[in-house]
Amino acid sequence: MASHNDDRSWEDELHDVDWEAVENTAEFQELVRSRRRFVVPATVFFLVWYLGFIALAGYAEDFMAESVIEGLTVGYCLALTQFVMVAVLGLMYLRRARETFDPLADQVARMVADRGSRFARDPDARPAGDRTPAAQPVTTTDPEARS
Amino acid sequence: MTSPVLPLADVNVEALTIFGVVLAITLYITYWASKRMTGADTFYAAGRSITGFQNGLAISGDYLSAASFLGIAGLIYIYGFDGFLYSVGFLVAFLTVMFLLAERMRNAGKYTIADVLSFRLNQRPARTAAALGTLAVVAFYLIAQMVGAGVLIQALVGLDFSTAVIITGICMLAYVVFGGMLATTWVQIIKAVLLMAGILVMSVFVLERVGFNPIELFNRANENKGPESAFSLGPGTYLSSPIDTMSLGLALVLGTAGLPHILMRFFTVPDAKAARGSVVYAMFIIGGFYILTTFIGFGARAVMGDAGLEAAGKGGNLAAPNLAAELGGGVGTFGGDAFLAIIAAVAFATILAVVAGLVLSASGAVAHDIWSNVIRHGRDSQKEELWAGRVAAAGIGAIAIAIAIIGGPGLNVSFMVGLAFAVAASANFPALLLALTWRRFNTTGAITGVLFGVVSAIVLVIISPGVWPGPDSEGGAFSWYSLANPGIISIPLGFLGCWLGTMLSSEKAQERSFHELYVRSETGIGAERPIHV
Repeated sequence: MASHNDDRSWEDELHDVDWEAVENTAEFQELVRSRRRFVVPATVFFLVWYLGFIALAGYAEDFMAESVIEGLTVGYCLALTQFVMVAVLGLMYLRRARETFDPLADQVARMVADRGSRFARDPDARPAGDRTPAAQPVTTTDPEARS
Repeated sequence: MTSPVLPLADVNVEALTIFGVVLAITLYITYWASKRMTGADTFYAAGRSITGFQNGLAISGDYLSAASFLGIAGLIYIYGFDGFLYSVGFLVAFLTVMFLLAERMRNAGKYTIADVLSFRLNQRPARTAAALGTLAVVAFYLIAQMVGAGVLIQALVGLDFSTAVIITGICMLAYVVFGGMLATTWVQIIKAVLLMAGILVMSVFVLERVGFNPIELFNRANENKGPESAFSLGPGTYLSSPIDTMSLGLALVLGTAGLPHILMRFFTVPDAKAARGSVVYAMFIIGGFYILTTFIGFGARAVMGDAGLEAAGKGGNLAAPNLAAELGGGVGTFGGDAFLAIIAAVAFATILAVVAGLVLSASGAVAHDIWSNVIRHGRDSQKEELWAGRVAAAGIGAIAIAIAIIGGPGLNVSFMVGLAFAVAASANFPALLLALTWRRFNTTGAITGVLFGVVSAIVLVIISPGVWPGPDSEGGAFSWYSLANPGIISIPLGFLGCWLGTMLSSEKAQERSFHELYVRSETGIGAERPIHV
């Protein structure tokens, strides 16, 4: 088991990273953009599809109670499309994450681990009101583990 | 409310025996887990060593409460389609969880929601606000589950209400206090497997009666409603106000992403990839489960008709166990009693898994957030934190048991689960989402947001018609306010509170902390790493 004290050096290293510089790298910006390109339209789509379904159930009771085949109502079929939507969007996200987001995130992580000096922040530039290390709930990770 | 009527008023020996077996297995697991308890990491996060698939099962076990199983089957039995509307919302909610929070929580958090907020905000006020949000959700959810457990076990096994609550409470405390997250996780996994197996077998029995043709099942269900029956294959029988239905739907879809016991599960896996995978497993398990509940609900209607209404009790909670008895050959036959006993034991396991998860997340808020970080300023050791967590869990559990017993079986808990989702959607969700994505967000914004969300959800429920006696049309404290579900008002208020507090305060946003949280939550750099337990 990893003891918490072994990790001091990496934790300090994390503390010295200039996160703003990392945020401004092309790689990180690409990660955020590509994730947003998927998540924003997908979220809008599922909210509209779901709330539309609920609105139909509320305001178009007769339509929802109509039969597609005797006994199988429009409402039940539309409800099933919600299940299909969840499965399809879930699997699509999984694939997009594996193929696009993970490699980009790993690239950013490697940059920070390998070329720490590039992102080292200038101690003199630290603003007076900067947070104290005690304010951080996080500890560490092994830089080796993510490459 | 009188306790539901069921043919068996005496102690049901078969059910009690199966309960005993379930308890013995889960308590053995607790003993096994207790020997692996090394510190706060194992207590709250099972050493972050749970695999994606295991966590998917555990999320399902944590999420599918007795209200999902017995409650939704019962609603479908009595009202038809409207019962199914609930399940759709409960399921779609996992898209919100996956797209917006699951991976970011894993990357930036340690044990609680508050960890993520305090990453970039002022530690003590932000933690206190987040702990308040967590405790408000857990309080309503836990009391509803405990009272529900007492009523159900009383009806199914014949133990009296207080005894049932105490047994549930003691098991819940044993899992959490001695076995922490590791035991809780395995209780949830076992429960998910039992629940899925139980509902699958019941569904096969039901479908066998209609030649495995679900459409025939719907037709038989529809033929089997009396002239005064509320049942319908279309909507509008239970949820009769469209705007209220929208409000409920919104609270379900956003509230799940603010449920502390669900979000906490993402801290138990090794990394963000496993967190994301576990949501997809959970989606398939939970989705499959909700489709099967429609077979149980419509099946109960098709098999028992209106004749089963009285025995199904208030809200139809006992429709599923009664259907099991009927499918097994009827009450009094060996098959009928055995099937009833099995389903009763599954329902019991269901309750145990949910309450254990709830107590653990509340203990995180009290011990990790308030005690370790606000009072002790994070200077306590892993060991002290573990003990603080245990003491907090024992205290919270004891309070929940006491309230459930004092309130008794007549305590009106029907609005409490809805309220828990509303508070989660209106207080926890906006603060978390904005902390992770809005550069300007600050501590004042988090505090006002959580307060707006918690207070507005609670106040709106207090003045809602469901809480006040009298016919629905005349209920409510004010004639102009008739919403039973506050979400459509309280969720925007929660976001508004976050925005107003941020804009009106003179506090400077902690830019640098946001850069760090932003990069680390998106990439997983420096995320908590797993340990072997």
